[in-house]
Amino acid sequence: MAARTLLRRALPSMRSSSSLRQVPFSSSTLLQSRAASSSSSSSAIPDYAIPDPSRPTHFGYETVTEAEKIERVAGVFTSVAESYDRMNDLMSFGWHRIWKDHFVASLNPGFSPLTSGPDPRAPQHILDIAGGTGDIGFRMLHTAHTLNGNPDVRVTISDINPAMLTVGKQRSTLLPASQQAALSFVEANAEDLTKTKPLSSTSTTSETNPHTSAIPSNSIDLYTVAFGIRNFSNIPAALREAHRVLKPGGVFACLEFSKVDKHPLFNTLYKSWSFGAIPLIGQLVAGDRDSYQYLVESIERFPSQEAFRDMIVDAGFVVGGDGFEDLTGGVAAIHKGMKPRV
Amino acid sequence: MRPPALSRAAAGASRLLTPRAAWTRPASTTSSSITTLTTTRRAQPNLQPTTASRARAYHASTHPPPPPPFSPTETAILSAAYTHVPTHGFSQTSLALGARSAGYLDISTNLLPDGVFSLIKYHLLTHRELLSSTPLPPTSTLSAKVEHLTFTRLLANAPVLPHLQSALAIMAQPSYIPTSLAELAVLADEILYLAGDVSVDPTWYTKRASLSAIYAASELFMTNDTSAGFRDTRAFLARRLGEAEELGGAVRSVGEWVGFNAKAGVNVLRSWGAPI
Repeated sequence: MAARTLLRRALPSMRSSSSLRQVPFSSSTLLQSRAASSSSSSSAIPDYAIPDPSRPTHFGYETVTEAEKIERVAGVFTSVAESYDRMNDLMSFGWHRIWKDHFVASLNPGFSPLTSGPDPRAPQHILDIAGGTGDIGFRMLHTAHTLNGNPDVRVTISDINPAMLTVGKQRSTLLPASQQAALSFVEANAEDLTKTKPLSSTSTTSETNPHTSAIPSNSIDLYTVAFGIRNFSNIPAALREAHRVLKPGGVFACLEFSKVDKHPLFNTLYKSWSFGAIPLIGQLVAGDRDSYQYLVESIERFPSQEAFRDMIVDAGFVVGGDGFEDLTGGVAAIHKGMKPRV
Repeated sequence: MRPPALSRAAAGASRLLTPRAAWTRPASTTSSSITTLTTTRRAQPNLQPTTASRARAYHASTHPPPPPPFSPTETAILSAAYTHVPTHGFSQTSLALGARSAGYLDISTNLLPDGVFSLIKYHLLTHRELLSSTPLPPTSTLSAKVEHLTFTRLLANAPVLPHLQSALAIMAQPSYIPTSLAELAVLADEILYLAGDVSVDPTWYTKRASLSAIYAASELFMTNDTSAGFRDTRAFLARRLGEAEELGGAVRSVGEWVGFNAKAGVNVLRSWGAPI
């Protein structure tokens, strides 16, 4: 209940739930990136990739500043943390589990063939950004430890929101002890991974807990973000930060809602489901319509498969083939990029 | 005094500033108007489509070569992985070992969009492209050249033969069937092009279709061939190509016979006074 009051404060303007007005939106951080990138040199960080709290970005169909978006996204996820997993099942008919299973299986973490001579396997470090309730992180551990028999795989689950992390930490107590030992939870903003702090059991604000540490550059094998990147205030900055922490040869993998434009008929059905039913389910089950209204609007605002692929390339990654894989006709898409060896 | 033709040419030259107007003016047959058009055309901006930026649905030997199918990074990983195929097959293990020897991480194989199928595609593409450097016996018939090229391509499978069946199984997976069939069609086309086939009639299609079928059959035969130097496969291939030629000859003969008789029948009817 306290969380909900917090959200009400964070969402001062209550939108009428049925309004699907399209705010003309030209100055988003996503869209200006293409125009600017051609003129700027490749080594220097372009302006749009430097977080600026006062720059306009979008929050659903509204235009807000980046700082405001961080605050309001925090409000949304603090509000939905406890019902998050149940709601995912209801909204996607349980299908999100298939997507997540496929995502993790296709990445095949921990796969490392043995050859004759000394054990060539290097320990793998997986960073699961926006990993909140641990859906991806736990699957990673299961694939690496159990299926691939490689116990030398560590997973760090990072989220900006301590409420989501707390739910994940509670769920992790059901895992085998060896997997729990390979798991760590940190609270961090994905746009700046130099300031992370471990999740503490007592709720403390960032001012009272001074122990922040940085995720070093070139230290991560696999950076994953599942259904999180569209909530970031500055996606180019987050992509560049991913590029920094990844080892050369390390992989950036993103599972995110995307566009179904290739299948017009299915798209109509999908849109009417997401705009008609999802906020309603949110209201009935989680008692929170606005957070789920934000969810569907933020999906609508997220760039198309091709545009997001270009943003990944712009951040310095190389992609293979198209650079993305559509799931369920494009309702979700997997984007992968590799940090090249220089 | 100025002759009228010259003045018209001058008027045409003044249109250089608005070239479109020169195209739309009514055509006249005087030689000066032709001069006008030629001058104007020279002043036109380049109307040639910028083909470099546009994907073509066809290929011609006079065009610049198409962009390579794999990026340099992908090629580095795949070529290193391919050296492990004789030992480890078309598998994730080969890919990971290849990534390692190319200086990448085990996880870097995620760059390849189709995983193991990318490795199979690499095998197919590289050996198809190697065909163009195959020396051909200079004075031989088209069918002899086709047989030679097809057998050369089959022999390229020899180092990975123990793993060819698993590769074929992966290629037959529903999501990969379109790519596999397209690659087979391109291979048949490549072989016939290199052999010097210049047919521009319906046999262009039938030749390619039958060669595709024969190649696929021979490849299947080869997976169980243990004879020295794949003698049996070569004999199998020669028999199939011979049959195709015989069949093609038979179909042509039947067609000729039917055509001749139909024409003769029409002429007989005409001789009886039928208004045909």
